[in-house]
Amino acid sequence: MKEREKSPTENLKAFLRGFFGAFKHSSTEYLEFELRELENVFALILMGEFIGIPSPPTTLVIRLLPHMTRELYVMQRRAVDMDDILGELAGMFEIT
Amino acid sequence: MREFFVPKKGYRVVFFIGKGGVGKTTSSAAAAIALAEKGYRTLIVSLDPAHNLGDVLMEKLSDKPKKITETLYAAELDMEKLIKTYLKHLEESMKHTYRYLTVINLEKYFEVLSFSPGIEEYATLEAVRDILKKGNEWDVIIFDTPPTGLTLRVLALPKISLIWTDKLIEIRKAILDRRAAIANIHGEQEFTVEGEKFKLPTRENEDAVMKELKAYREEVAFVESVLTDPEKTSVVAVMNPEMLPLYETERAYESLRKFKVPFNMIVMNKVFELKGDVPELRAKLEAQEKVLREVAKKFRGLEIVKIPIFPEEPRGLERLGTLGGKIIGD
Repeated sequence: MKEREKSPTENLKAFLRGFFGAFKHSSTEYLEFELRELENVFALILMGEFIGIPSPPTTLVIRLLPHMTRELYVMQRRAVDMDDILGELAGMFEIT
Repeated sequence: MREFFVPKKGYRVVFFIGKGGVGKTTSSAAAAIALAEKGYRTLIVSLDPAHNLGDVLMEKLSDKPKKITETLYAAELDMEKLIKTYLKHLEESMKHTYRYLTVINLEKYFEVLSFSPGIEEYATLEAVRDILKKGNEWDVIIFDTPPTGLTLRVLALPKISLIWTDKLIEIRKAILDRRAAIANIHGEQEFTVEGEKFKLPTRENEDAVMKELKAYREEVAFVESVLTDPEKTSVVAVMNPEMLPLYETERAYESLRKFKVPFNMIVMNKVFELKGDVPELRAKLEAQEKVLREVAKKFRGLEIVKIPIFPEEPRGLERLGTLGGKIIGD
């Protein structure tokens, strides 16, 4: 029984961790969004052939592809969530 | 001998360009033979899918340099085979790396890729690069090229590839910057796909994509540096005294200048030189005169060599050698 009860200082510590964690999280929200967009764009450029935009040297594209797991994944997710991009933006700028 | 055939920095690369059927192969073979006779270790490579270098030299050629004389070697690159092996190799390495990734359908992607526009040009460029990489084995490397259109695109590719690569490097830098900033606050970031965990690279020297980009940039920059160096590369345009080849040569001249590839000389092939008066050929001769005048005016300062039309096609080493002597200015 006793073990579950934590000392007040520890409680306070946990609270502060959560409190600043939330700050930490929101501090990188924009950065993460930007990063996702850049990764998406990077993959899209390499896959340009599919959507009819000029594509970079084929050799280069094929040499890059094996290392592009993350970017392709982001691109795929982005395509799936396509209609919710406005929602995401609205959430980020706290427009409700 | 004309100075743009002399190897100055290690080796000399000469491209023979021109419209189809004007005599590129014959002129390039002739020049190669003449250079080889002077004692330069010479390699002549045909990049033209419609191979006839072997027919001109009267030898059976393959993609490995074949010894013709003590100093002359010749090869014909099989473009179709090149593209096939190139794609095959890529497909295998891709399948290997993507075993775990079924997010996108790669088979389909490869089907598209093998018909992707420009694949022929890229394969040609790769072939040229492979030969240039081993350039120091030779004194002179002569390329007999496919008709102008394709060749110009191949010669322009390094520059265009550089622009692409630089742009992609820029975006990649922005990505890595942001990742590094996020990692600074939240610690190392991981990414999980189908049970496999990756650490997201944040530094240029640990990011495989960036490394690949930089390696590619270096390779292309090497080709570009050779192609734009007047001490290393020369371009010889072959044409006939007719209007259409003239237009094409002019366009080639303009676009090579844009990509800073040196353009050194025009071989005016199949010029009629009649002693008597042949009324049937009078109009033809007048047209020829007109083109010759135009060429002298438009390409002022450029070396122009006239090769008369021969009663018989020049084939075989000896006759080609004499013809080559005229081209290299011996």
